[in-house]
Amino acid sequence: MLFYNIQNAFRSMKKNPMLTALMIAATAVGIGVSMTMITLYYLMAQNPIPHKSEQLYRIQVDSWNPMHPFDGNRPERAPNQVTYRDAMAFIDSAPAQKQSAMFETSLIVRPPNPDQLPFESGARVTYGDFFSMFDVPFLFGAGWDELMDTQASQVVVLTRNMNNRLFGGENSVGRELSLNNRYFTVVGVIDTWRPMPRYFDLVGGALDEVNDLMIPMTLTPSMELRSAANTSGWKAEDIKTFEDRLNSEYVWIQYWAELKDARAKDEYLGYLDSYVTEQKKLGRFQRPLNNHIHSVTEWMDYSEIIPMEVKLLVGIGLLFLLVSLLSTVSLLLTKFTGFFTEVSIRRALGASRPAILQQQLVEVVVIGIAGGLIGIGLTTVSLKAMQASVEDAPEALFHMNWTLIGLAILISSLTSLIAGLYPAWRTCLVEPAAELKNL
Amino acid sequence: MEFRPIISALTRHKTSSVLVIIQIGVTLAIVVNATFIIKQRIDRTNRPTGMDVDNMIVAVVRGIEDDYDPLASILRDLDAIRSMSGIRAVTTTNSVPLGGSGSSTGLRSIPDESTASVPTGTFIMTETALETLGTSLVAGRNFYPEEIVHYVPGTTGTPTAILVTKALADKLYPDGDALGKPAYWGSTESSTIIGILGHMQNAWVDWGDTDQLHIRPGMTAYTTHRYLIRTQPGEVDRLLPLVEEKLVELDANRIIKYVRSHRDIVDQSYQIDTLMVRILVTVIVILVGLTSLVILGLVSYHVVQRTRQIGTRRALGATRSDILRYFLTENWIITTAGALLGSLLTVAISFAMETSFELPRLDMNYLLVSILLLWCISQFSAWFPARRAATVSPAIATRSV
Repeated sequence: MLFYNIQNAFRSMKKNPMLTALMIAATAVGIGVSMTMITLYYLMAQNPIPHKSEQLYRIQVDSWNPMHPFDGNRPERAPNQVTYRDAMAFIDSAPAQKQSAMFETSLIVRPPNPDQLPFESGARVTYGDFFSMFDVPFLFGAGWDELMDTQASQVVVLTRNMNNRLFGGENSVGRELSLNNRYFTVVGVIDTWRPMPRYFDLVGGALDEVNDLMIPMTLTPSMELRSAANTSGWKAEDIKTFEDRLNSEYVWIQYWAELKDARAKDEYLGYLDSYVTEQKKLGRFQRPLNNHIHSVTEWMDYSEIIPMEVKLLVGIGLLFLLVSLLSTVSLLLTKFTGFFTEVSIRRALGASRPAILQQQLVEVVVIGIAGGLIGIGLTTVSLKAMQASVEDAPEALFHMNWTLIGLAILISSLTSLIAGLYPAWRTCLVEPAAELKNL
Repeated sequence: MEFRPIISALTRHKTSSVLVIIQIGVTLAIVVNATFIIKQRIDRTNRPTGMDVDNMIVAVVRGIEDDYDPLASILRDLDAIRSMSGIRAVTTTNSVPLGGSGSSTGLRSIPDESTASVPTGTFIMTETALETLGTSLVAGRNFYPEEIVHYVPGTTGTPTAILVTKALADKLYPDGDALGKPAYWGSTESSTIIGILGHMQNAWVDWGDTDQLHIRPGMTAYTTHRYLIRTQPGEVDRLLPLVEEKLVELDANRIIKYVRSHRDIVDQSYQIDTLMVRILVTVIVILVGLTSLVILGLVSYHVVQRTRQIGTRRALGATRSDILRYFLTENWIITTAGALLGSLLTVAISFAMETSFELPRLDMNYLLVSILLLWCISQFSAWFPARRAATVSPAIATRSV
C-alpha cells in the first residue's frame, strides 16, 4: 500500500511539475536559510564537554580598583581574569585535585627543516593538568607531568596540524624544536581537537581554533612570556622589569579547577574567601568579597559568547521557515484542488477517505524530504560561502554534524506534514462522484 | 470598481486568502527590519576614518635573534623606506588604527582618581604620524622631533606632551579650551595637550567611543614593531611587494608578519558587517522571490477555478479590462491586508530587537517605502495570470453548463 502511495505520489508530482518544483524549492530554501542560521547558533551554544561541564570551574576573585568596579555596566562582576601572583598562589595551595592556570602567547618557531622559514605561532602556556581536565585526545605521546611543571622543563605539545607542518605528520615525540631560540622536546601530539566554542578560553576568542603549541607555564618568568590576548590593569604601577609585571595588579591569567562534587566546590570557595581575607590584611583586594566559580555552561552564559548577529539571524531564519511553510500550504491547496476530480473518481471507485488522506500525506512527505535534502545541500553551500568570506574562520563553526543533518530532516518532514494536513484533509472530504458532474 | 463582489468572492477562499495575507505580512516584517539592519551596517563601515586609508601600507616585523637590536633596526628601516620612490611618509606605531587590537586607558582633567575617567585609545607614534595618517590638526602644534621618546623594554614614564582628538578634548574639557591644559593619568602624573586632531578612529571598530584617542610622542622599540607607511596616491599596490622585499633585504633574519594595505586591514575589521549585509540581501531576495511566486500561483489558481464565471461575465458584457481590473483589485486587497498585518509585525519585531539588542529604533520611512514596493511587486506578480483571465473567451460560458 505504501509503495502504491509513493508511486501515486510520484505520478501526481509529475503531472504538475511546475507546482511540485515550486513546493520543493520553497521547502528547500526554507530549510537552507533556517538551518544555516540554526547551525551557527547551535555550534556556538552547544555544551562542548557534556560529561564534565559541571565539574570544571572557572575561578574569579575581585582584585580590582577599590574605587571602580571591573565592569562599569555590571558592577557586581569581578575581573574576568586573575593576576599572575594570585594564580601562582592558587596553584600552590588551592584544594583541587586538578587545576590549571593558562594564557595565550606567541612564540617564534624555527622549523627543523632548514628550507622552511621561521614563523610565529600562537601558543597556550599552561599546566600539565590541562590535558586531562579538558579531555585532550592524543595522537602520539601525552601531555607533560607534574614533575616537568615543577622543573619548568622545556617540553612542548603540538597539534596535529603543527606536527604535519613541522614533522610531516610522523611521530615526533622525543624530537627537538626551537621556540624563541630555546630547544624544546616534543612530548605529545594532539589528535584533531576542535572544541566549539573554545570554552576554556572565552576571553581570548571564544570561536578561535586551539593554539598549535602548548608549553609549561612555569617557563613564564625565565622566557618573559606575555599574554598575546588581553591584559588589563587599573593601578598606576611603575613596571620596569618583567618581574615587576609578574608582581603587578595586571589581570591576564585564566584559571580553571576540576571539582567533583558540591563538597569540593564549597571547600574551594572557602579557600578563595580565606585567601582574599588574608590578602586584604596585606592591603590588596580592597573591594568587598566577590569570589565566584562558574561551571563551563555557566561561564558560557556569563561570557555571552553568541554574537548579537547570530541571534538576529536565527530569528530571521525561523521567520523565513514560517514563510516557506505558508508557501507550501498555499501551493498544496492549489494543487490538491486541481485533483478534486481524480479524487472524486477514486472515491466513487471505492477508495476510502483514510486511503485518500494517506496518499496525499505521502505525497507531501515525499516533497518534504526532497526539499529537506536539497535544503541540506543549500545549507552546506551557504556555510562554506560564509566561511570563505571570513578571514581566519574557524572550521568547526561552519560544519553541519549528524545531529544537525538529522534536525534538518526532522524539521523538513515535520513542517511539510503540518503544511500538508489541512489541504489533504480538505481533499479527502470530496464527495464520491460529486465533481464528476462538472466534467 | 466595486469592492463588495470581490470581498464576497474572497470569503469563499478564506483559507488560501488568509494564508497569503500572513505570508505577505511576515515577508514585509522581515524585509523592513533586515533592510534597516543593512542600512546600519553600511553606515557603520562608511564612518569617516579621518585617515588616508586607501594610501597606507602597514608592515609588521619581528626580530628573532636573542641579540636583535630593535631600535637600530627601526632607525635603519625607517631611513630605507623613506628613501623609496612613491613613499610620502612613514612612522612607527604601537598599534594599527582600525586594526582590531590596541591599548586603551583613562584620562581626567583633574588629578582625582575617585572620579570617572574618560576612556581613550592610546597610540604611540613619531612626529611624522600626522603626515602618514593624513590627519590634520585643528589647533595647536605637532610633536617636535626631540620630544620623541624611545620606548625600549623597561622604559616607563609619562610623556610631557600629547595630541588628542577633538572628541577626547571635548570630553575632558567640555568648554572647548583643552589646548595647553593638562590631562591626568592618575592622581599626580599629567601630560600637556599640545595639539587637537580633527578626527581619527581608534584601533577597534566596536569600541563605543571610536574617535576618543590620544597620540603619545614615541617610538616603541620592542622585538615586534609596526610601520605605518603612506604612499603617493594610488601607489599602494605597486609598493606592497617592494616594501616587503626591502624589509627582507635589510635583514633576512626576521619574521615579516605581514605587509598589507591598510584598506585590506580595515575591510577585515568590518568583515562581519559585510557578511551580515550579504546574508541579509540574499535572504531578502529569496524571500521576495518566493512570496511573488506564491502570489502568482494563487492568482493563477483563482483564475483557473473561475474560468467559467469569467466567461459568463464576459458574455454578459464585461470588457477585458474589467476582468483584468477585477483580479488586480482582488490582489491589491489581499496585499494591503498583508501590509497592515505586516506593519504590526514589523513594529513588534523592531521593538523586540530594540529592547534585546539595543538597536536603534526603526525609521518608519523604511516601512512606508517597503509597502509601496510591496504593492508594485505584488501587482506585477498578479499581472500575468490576470491578463490570462482577461483573454478567457465569452464562449466558455456556454459550454458544459
